[in-house]
Amino acid sequence: MSAGGAGGEATGGIPQNNLIAVGAAGGLIAAYAGHFLTQGIGPAFAFIGALGAICAIVWGAAAVRRVASYGLGTGVPSIGMMALGMGVVASLFGLAVGGIAGPIVAFVAAAIIGLVIGVLANKVLGMGIPIMEQSMTEIAGAGALTIIGLSVAMTGTFMFDAVLETVVATGYIAVIFIAGGMGILHPFNANLGPDEQQDRTLTTAVEKGAIAMIIAGIVATVATGASAIPSIVIGIVIWYVAFRKYVEFVNRDAYKVIGTGLLPTEEELE
Amino acid sequence: MIDIAGILAENIIYIVMITLGGMLISWSVHFVPVGGAPAAMAQATGIGTGTVQLAAGAGLTGLVTAGAVMNVSDSVALVVASGAVGAMIMIAVTMIIGTWVYVYGVGVPPASAKVDYDPITKDRQDLYVSQGTEGHGLPTVSYVSGVIGGALGGIGGAIIYYSLMSTSTTLAHSDLISLASIFAVGIFFVNAVIPSYNIGGTIEGFHDPKFKKWPKAVVASFVATVMCAFVGVMAIGGL
Repeated sequence: MSAGGAGGEATGGIPQNNLIAVGAAGGLIAAYAGHFLTQGIGPAFAFIGALGAICAIVWGAAAVRRVASYGLGTGVPSIGMMALGMGVVASLFGLAVGGIAGPIVAFVAAAIIGLVIGVLANKVLGMGIPIMEQSMTEIAGAGALTIIGLSVAMTGTFMFDAVLETVVATGYIAVIFIAGGMGILHPFNANLGPDEQQDRTLTTAVEKGAIAMIIAGIVATVATGASAIPSIVIGIVIWYVAFRKYVEFVNRDAYKVIGTGLLPTEEELE
Repeated sequence: MIDIAGILAENIIYIVMITLGGMLISWSVHFVPVGGAPAAMAQATGIGTGTVQLAAGAGLTGLVTAGAVMNVSDSVALVVASGAVGAMIMIAVTMIIGTWVYVYGVGVPPASAKVDYDPITKDRQDLYVSQGTEGHGLPTVSYVSGVIGGALGGIGGAIIYYSLMSTSTTLAHSDLISLASIFAVGIFFVNAVIPSYNIGGTIEGFHDPKFKKWPKAVVASFVATVMCAFVGVMAIGGL
């Protein structure tokens, strides 16, 4: 269960501050854009929410990559489940009490919960990871924005009544929980090791986000406020592009990629 | 805007109960023999997966059984007991199947490397520990410890669910069930990860020296759960 990595902060590639900007601003803007365009023009625009979720997932995966490189002592998946645990509590709270300010309230609540848990992890549990506080804040915020973005894609709005009726009461929130959590925890878990590269890890995050977007599109087939086809089609396109890119990066980072052929048959072995 | 003071005054008992439940979950994780990847390769004692997955399994089973009983009874004692039994059954079944796999599949005797004699059966352990490993399988003491952990976790999860369900609200019953469940799951995950950071991934049970670290995790969970309880009760109570 070692977390792998070099025991220090992961470096290289896009600076974390840029990713924070993409994730936080992208996630919030897309949630609002998805909501208002769907209300104003038509349900076809619900997919914008899922684009915001992809921004948030990439941000979350980058934050997990940074903090998990120190070695958490337990598996990388734990931090992703924690992100969605904090995120689901904060986002439902924000949407329930915030009204039109829901996503912002949720984001702030998630950041506060994440910051406190980060402080606890360092000061009480003595984990001694210098960026723990910042990373936990980022991861919780990314988790909350992922849930809100996918909810917008499923319902066309972040208004609590619709989200409660379509996403929570039907149990699709569990799908968001696992699909969003996978998007945040899986990229670093899948790519960790001495040859881990930021662009490859983040491409995995985009690809996982696209899968979540497709799932949100499938759920939207039963929702009245959202249109399913744009989410599914755009999701498939993003998935295809990201997966092609990912294979390219794998080939680039591998020492050698060769075809070994199929296993020999029994006759050939004799 | 919602009446924060009013909701707080009305539901303060539930915030206290949720916090207590979170602390119980945090404590319970220390009892469950978690071995992670090394245990999956029979190189360490415990169940071969992470705390979060085990806690999720036990917690969700407890939640389902508690929810089923809440449909027919309002008694907090019955709900909590059913949650505990559900989680205990889940963790016990996982451990017995795991033991069969270790004994008949991998071919190792269950043995702990942390103690020379099993604290419960007094059987000698050190003779049976394979070289280069930290024990393997699920010796009796780990099994008993795991069942205790399941009970505590189930009680904690059931208390959280019961408190969220009892929060005064105008929500329809079916909406309340789904909202309370997902809040309970979220709080459960947070409180399952905090102790797993405390013990560093693997633990054998209450005889493991790492078990003594539990007060730190319970304190951390107290603070974290108070916040989660506050936002959870505010969200449900404000509707």
